[in-house]
Amino acid sequence: MPRLSRSDWYDLSRDMNWTLRYARAEEVFPEELSGSHGVTAEAWERWDEPYKIGYREYVHNQVTKDTTTYSLKNAVSRSKLFDRLDPGWKSVILAHYGAITMPEYLAAIGEARMARFGRSAAWRNTATFGALDEMRHGQIQAFFTYGLLGKEPRADWAHKAYHTDNWVVLAARSLFDDMFVANDAVSMALQLTFTLETGFTNLQFLAMAADAMDVGDLEFGALISSIQTDEARHSQQGEPTIRVLIDNGHKEWGQFLIDHMFWRAWRVFAVLTGLSMDYYTPLESRRMSFKEFIEEWVVEQFAQQFRDFGLDYPWYWDDFRRELSWFHHGIHLGVWTYRPTVWWNPDAGVSAAERDWLEEKYPGWNDTFGRNWDVIQDNLRNGDVAATLPQTLPMMCNLCQIPIIRAAGVLAGALDSPAPLRHTYKGKTYLFCSEPCKWIFTRRPERFAGHRSLIDRFLGGDIDPPDLGGVLAYMGLSEAEQGGDATGYAWATR
Amino acid sequence: MAPLPLSVSFDGDITALLLAVDDQDTAEAVGRQIAAHVVGRRVRDRGTPIRVRHDGRVLPPGQRVGEAGVRPLDHVEAFFDEP
Repeated sequence: MPRLSRSDWYDLSRDMNWTLRYARAEEVFPEELSGSHGVTAEAWERWDEPYKIGYREYVHNQVTKDTTTYSLKNAVSRSKLFDRLDPGWKSVILAHYGAITMPEYLAAIGEARMARFGRSAAWRNTATFGALDEMRHGQIQAFFTYGLLGKEPRADWAHKAYHTDNWVVLAARSLFDDMFVANDAVSMALQLTFTLETGFTNLQFLAMAADAMDVGDLEFGALISSIQTDEARHSQQGEPTIRVLIDNGHKEWGQFLIDHMFWRAWRVFAVLTGLSMDYYTPLESRRMSFKEFIEEWVVEQFAQQFRDFGLDYPWYWDDFRRELSWFHHGIHLGVWTYRPTVWWNPDAGVSAAERDWLEEKYPGWNDTFGRNWDVIQDNLRNGDVAATLPQTLPMMCNLCQIPIIRAAGVLAGALDSPAPLRHTYKGKTYLFCSEPCKWIFTRRPERFAGHRSLIDRFLGGDIDPPDLGGVLAYMGLSEAEQGGDATGYAWATR
Repeated sequence: MAPLPLSVSFDGDITALLLAVDDQDTAEAVGRQIAAHVVGRRVRDRGTPIRVRHDGRVLPPGQRVGEAGVRPLDHVEAFFDEP
């Protein structure tokens, strides 16, 4: 039997299109699900993925990855490696597992939608592999955390988180519903695979895997590497989709989709990765600051990609660049203060040596956020832990569902007013943390108006009793699951 | 007498907070309630009087917030008056 090279059979094998005779194209590919903006079937034929792979090769690669990763897990689980990890690093992985494991499964729904409603046969083929990837990512992360349950009961949040109304989950669920659970195929290619995966997570996973190895977390490092190599492949669905849109006169729509999702991705990325890189990762293992990471990998490398397509920087680019110096510092102070509301132990990360590092990376940190931490530290030294805990809720943004911390922007000299931005739609007033969040909402209010923020739920009587105890119960946090300071306040008393 | 949920913040703090006051509370009383969540917790006490600002206007300490035009979910910012 002749052995053909891949290029001899690839185009034929992936082209599963046929001529429709019993249904119209718009019935087979409804606009709500395909989002193809009237681009013709012929034009979609030009969709060409940069990374080519056949099913047999795919299965071979995935089996190899799974075998390696599961073997390593089996070996590590018999060791005391997890017990010896830095407490801040444990927070990194617990936050990650809770926030990311189930969305991997949800992303499989998104990939499957592209695999069904993408207008190009080549794209549907690629997305099929993407759906299989995301199922694997959900399963492997749920399984790895299951192995940690004996040592860390909150590893259960890998499975539990998305079945609760925890505030972090409300924010992440709102984002992922927008990005893939309730999105059409074209928008998803631009927003999930291009903006989030190419722009943020693919790079973050590379950095996280390196950090994990550096702190001695071989299990997490192997897991993340195994996932990242899948992402590097399936994230490439975005580029050919943008190309088809632009070639067919829909550049403005593509720009809108990217501007919309770049901001939302940045928001959640700052919360999860910003805190991990600048506060939770042990000082000796930090390779670069969060700001340096974003400037090198997102601002320079990713932004170059969308300029290569003739797209512009998002209109809020200057605000985004300014936020790199303050937003995640404010969020970190907030998350630490509201530590009982999260399923990991926030690491304050502000010991004397860590403050020196923060001042070096973020000149002026001591005179801004450092002063807030001074007051907190005094209270802890006086034994007044209660004064470091909250007694009311932060206001929440009606778009990103993240606390409205414009006050931190004022503190850092980047904003003029701490007041939330406002917009009234069908008689209801919505509050926002930023101009881009307000812009995203007002461009398509019907898409977002129904998502009730934690404040809407609280004021609407959903949380009973209406106090912090009621809030913690509403968020699904038993006393044993509520976060505390990662080091038991050792940083404050040294 | 009617409950009045507000978005509030204190100068030097990092976040807007939800605070339920009464529309008959004076600006001074609202300032105290805001400070209770922030001063001595994340912002050091300066020992000077606390004022509140609404919609760009500093409210007289004795004015009732309901009568000052403060509406539900409006933002009120407290700050230390300069000595």
